[in-house]
Amino acid sequence: MKNVRLCTVLFAVLVAVLGLALFPAAAQKTPVLKIGINAEITGDIPKVGEATKYAAQMYVEDVNKAGGIEVGGKKYRLELAIEDNEAKAESAAKAATKLITVDEVIAIVGPQASKQAVPAGEVCNNYKTPMVSAWSTNPNTTKDRPYVFRACFLDDFQGPALSIFASQEYRFKKAAVLYDVASDYPKGLAEFFKKDWEKRNGPGSVVAYESFTTKDTDFSSQLTKIINSGAEFLFTPQYYNEVPLIVQQAKQLGWKKPILGSDSWASDELVKLCGKDCFGHFFVSHYASAGAKGATKEFIDRYKAKYGSIPDDVAALTWDAIGLIGAAIRNAGKLTGDVKKDREAVRNALAQTKDYPGITGTISFPPGSGDPIKCANIVKINDKGEFEFYKSVCP
Amino acid sequence: MTVFLQNLVNALQWGSFYALIAIGYSMVYSILMLFNFAHGDVFMTGAYIGCGIAMLLLGLGAAGLLVLPGWLVLGLTILLAMIVTAGLGMFIERVGYRPLREAPRASAAITGLMIGIILETGNLILLGAQRVKFPALIQPVTFELGGVFLTNQKIMIVVVALGLALALHQFIRRTRWGMAMRAMAFDYAVVPLMGVPINRIAALTFALGSGLAAAAGILFGMAYPVLDPYMGIVFGWKSFVAAILGGRGSILGATLAGFLLGFIEIFVAMVFPSTLRDFIAYSIILLILVFRPYGLFGEPYSVRLRL
Amino acid sequence: MEPHLHRPSGALGGGRRDRAADFARGVPLLGWLFGALLAVLLESFFGRDLADFLDLPRVPVLFGFEYALNKPRLIPGTLAFLFLVYALPLLLGARLLRGPANRIARLLAARAPGVALLLHLAFLYGILHLWTEVSDYRLIVAKITLIAVMLTLSLNVVNGFMGEFSCSHPGFMALGAYAGSLVTIVGFTNSAMFGAALLPPALGPVFFPLALLLGGAVAAVGALAVAIPSFRTRGDYLAIISLAFTFIVKSLIENLEIVGGPRGLRGQPDWANLPVVFVCTVICVAMINQFVRSIYGLGLNAVRDNEMAAEAMTINTRRTKMVAFLFAAFWAGVAGVLFAHVLRYVNPGTFGLQQLAEVLAMMYFGGLNSVVGSIVGAVSINLLSEMLRPLEIWKWIFIPLLLILVMIFRPTGLIAFREFDPLAWIAPRDGNGSRERRENSGEGK
Repeated sequence: MKNVRLCTVLFAVLVAVLGLALFPAAAQKTPVLKIGINAEITGDIPKVGEATKYAAQMYVEDVNKAGGIEVGGKKYRLELAIEDNEAKAESAAKAATKLITVDEVIAIVGPQASKQAVPAGEVCNNYKTPMVSAWSTNPNTTKDRPYVFRACFLDDFQGPALSIFASQEYRFKKAAVLYDVASDYPKGLAEFFKKDWEKRNGPGSVVAYESFTTKDTDFSSQLTKIINSGAEFLFTPQYYNEVPLIVQQAKQLGWKKPILGSDSWASDELVKLCGKDCFGHFFVSHYASAGAKGATKEFIDRYKAKYGSIPDDVAALTWDAIGLIGAAIRNAGKLTGDVKKDREAVRNALAQTKDYPGITGTISFPPGSGDPIKCANIVKINDKGEFEFYKSVCP
Repeated sequence: MTVFLQNLVNALQWGSFYALIAIGYSMVYSILMLFNFAHGDVFMTGAYIGCGIAMLLLGLGAAGLLVLPGWLVLGLTILLAMIVTAGLGMFIERVGYRPLREAPRASAAITGLMIGIILETGNLILLGAQRVKFPALIQPVTFELGGVFLTNQKIMIVVVALGLALALHQFIRRTRWGMAMRAMAFDYAVVPLMGVPINRIAALTFALGSGLAAAAGILFGMAYPVLDPYMGIVFGWKSFVAAILGGRGSILGATLAGFLLGFIEIFVAMVFPSTLRDFIAYSIILLILVFRPYGLFGEPYSVRLRL
Repeated sequence: MEPHLHRPSGALGGGRRDRAADFARGVPLLGWLFGALLAVLLESFFGRDLADFLDLPRVPVLFGFEYALNKPRLIPGTLAFLFLVYALPLLLGARLLRGPANRIARLLAARAPGVALLLHLAFLYGILHLWTEVSDYRLIVAKITLIAVMLTLSLNVVNGFMGEFSCSHPGFMALGAYAGSLVTIVGFTNSAMFGAALLPPALGPVFFPLALLLGGAVAAVGALAVAIPSFRTRGDYLAIISLAFTFIVKSLIENLEIVGGPRGLRGQPDWANLPVVFVCTVICVAMINQFVRSIYGLGLNAVRDNEMAAEAMTINTRRTKMVAFLFAAFWAGVAGVLFAHVLRYVNPGTFGLQQLAEVLAMMYFGGLNSVVGSIVGAVSINLLSEMLRPLEIWKWIFIPLLLILVMIFRPTGLIAFREFDPLAWIAPRDGNGSRERRENSGEGK
């Protein structure tokens, strides 16, 4: 008896739910291409995730406003699938898997930091999905992974570029380095710089090679050592949020010599946080926001109008990363609708990228590598706090 | 020698922050026997509140409504931020800790951690991921004393930190409230029976601890003027180390241990390759605890202080 | 030891409860497994078609949360899917097959309890396997969740059963992850860092258990650094000793260029598949459960409740602490090896304060002193944080709030102080809904 009643109830629920489910009219089917964003929105480096998200959203809006992306005579609307990887390695791998298998994206931008990008790259490569990390400089990210690319230049180019600049421009002989030992980007850069500098100026010419740990804010002990080492300049490949602390503390400890930085300095926040103390120092950059021309200037102006801040290197590189994907989709010839085949086509087009006019420089991928060839700009922070183009160094 | 003196100065400043935060930890922990793992994030919030107040005051000054000299702005900022953050501390106590007073202490540790995450995420939602610059309230002046570089900020930080620690010490030694707190630290179970209002004491403890954290936050903002929502985490855990290293229930111990931690970190980086700093610094702490298992000034553990 | 679905009828009164209890009456665990198997079978054969029919873009991967929070239009379809594919087969299968299930359970419980346990585990694995086969996203979530179960459970040995507040788990995990990775990378892969494989890669899967054991063993040796000071101190002081240990391990690995320093170690072979992770987790749960129910486990509780009295009762407190720490560290190390091989990359930054906060939260959320609690805690927090992904940043407001509420209303965690007796769980049920072997289902304390 009870069973009968129970079955009636179950049946009624079933009918009701089915009725509801079938009620909504089928949405109109415009062909959509999904691009995944795997970014560090929460966790240690929220600014990176935010810039990634903003730049990607701006790109997608642009494309859709123009009626979509045209491939093989057919227009597609772009859609973003944004996942937060919480700045955790395992979460990045999970997010990449979700984007690939659940959201069925055609390509992925990010993760940005190497701690996340290396495991996520593994996932993307296994699933044959093109991934472009805008910011990760760890060689492991792209090595032996035909489906993984990056938009930034590598440490082994940037380090020597700085070393060349310092020895040719100033004829310095003695260098000091201060870097974060727990973060692979500064550490890699510091090592390449040191190697190149000692090759040029003989062993022992890096007179102080000091380090600290991520999230440290006091560098006084290391800076005291550096000041007493007799170095002629300081190279610190740190992020723009740490640079003001280093520069100001150095000044307070009596340092008056030049300080050189890496592309991670490139953010308008640097000047906002640092003020006058940073004026007159140099760094390597993908692009210089002051005196920028053409597409770069347009990007900077529109980003600023939309989000209220000058884009930092992450935003600019993400813009190029997603732009590379967009160009690859356009060049893929024809999309079949089978996401696996389309990914293959996009990856092949991506690998053949030649002279893509990015806002951070002209990008080409050499055969069999996901690491771009591009030039580095040496940028000076001028007396108005603007980033001014100084010199270009090409590989 | 000048290198040593220079590092001594550096370590004094660095230790001041650990000390101020560790005092807050130590108070909560000795009086209520709780780990207040939200404390690092209270420090962060205090710095942001201070930053907001300072900007407001400077904005008023710029608009010509209320023109104050820099040192007064600083004083007001510290005072107001301490009051607001003390309120926040009392709120945290009321919501996150009071319901758990009879629970195992570790449960309160988890609510603390979670309140910390809420503070971080809330900050991220409210202010976005942009880092905030703490306004320069007093112009830094660098002077040289026999090869050692000092700034007015450094001196001020150490003086204010020591002053606050001393004031708190006096408060706890001299006043009736302080006596009640000491009594609670001595026996948590019996003292409330003698008519000491436990809720009010708990609230006061949190208020004082959070106020000090806010002061530390503002001093931190003066010295290292870049604020970000996650800056409290590492500070929180390290000050936790300092608080316990000092020994249970000892304000003096927490202060000294905070300075000690600062000294260890700075001098290890001076003597050894700085890449090994954490490795050596925390090995030293581990060794200290192997030989002094109850901290610098602590008493051996009794049964009633179980976790 | 009451799984919440089968409360004895009348215990709580109320008509609806009674009906639910009536329904569940007499269904043994095996019956529920039958039902679940039916559900996942149904999903793997007809899931896609049904999703198409209901106008869903695809099979809801994690119980439809991705639709419920993002696209309200799809909620009815999702509900219908969940009802048809999960609820209906589970309930009907469990109900209709309870007779045979009970017969099998009774037969096996009497003759060969070991076989009965294995049978249940096989069913459980089958269900998990079919469920994860639908989507690779489920697979990676399942693997990471199982690893979290091992971590949480091993932490519970020290923090729950022994009542210390140890913060060294990320350190143990890091030691295990690096030691295990070194074995597999040096031994079985051609890597740029360590050159050609020493042994033929074909032998690898045979040696993987050795890598797991070695990872665990290295972590256990590292644990001596925490265990020995624990003889003389405890509570808060031990907490910072263990915290210092975590800092030390992280800093040490960052400085070891040979294992890649902060760049990490990449290229672990892909051996940590679902069966391996599942078997490891089962062994971990079984061993830890045996351990905490043994005389040692009671010793742990005695040390927690009163160390001096325990000493007086002839418990060797030193040995007890030592064993507990080494045992917990061993399993954290094994979990670390698996973690490294699931991601195929390790990096010292992974084993920091964030990891610590996470594993502490899972353990205290699940419940002190309870094997089931740790499983529930790890699984629920992991699944929840995946299911709530669509909330984006608000996820990190919601989850902490939930944890605070749980702590306030159940200060010792969801399922604390319960003894886990697998035999009682799998026992057949008689017609009255009670278990036939009740004497073992101890309520703890």
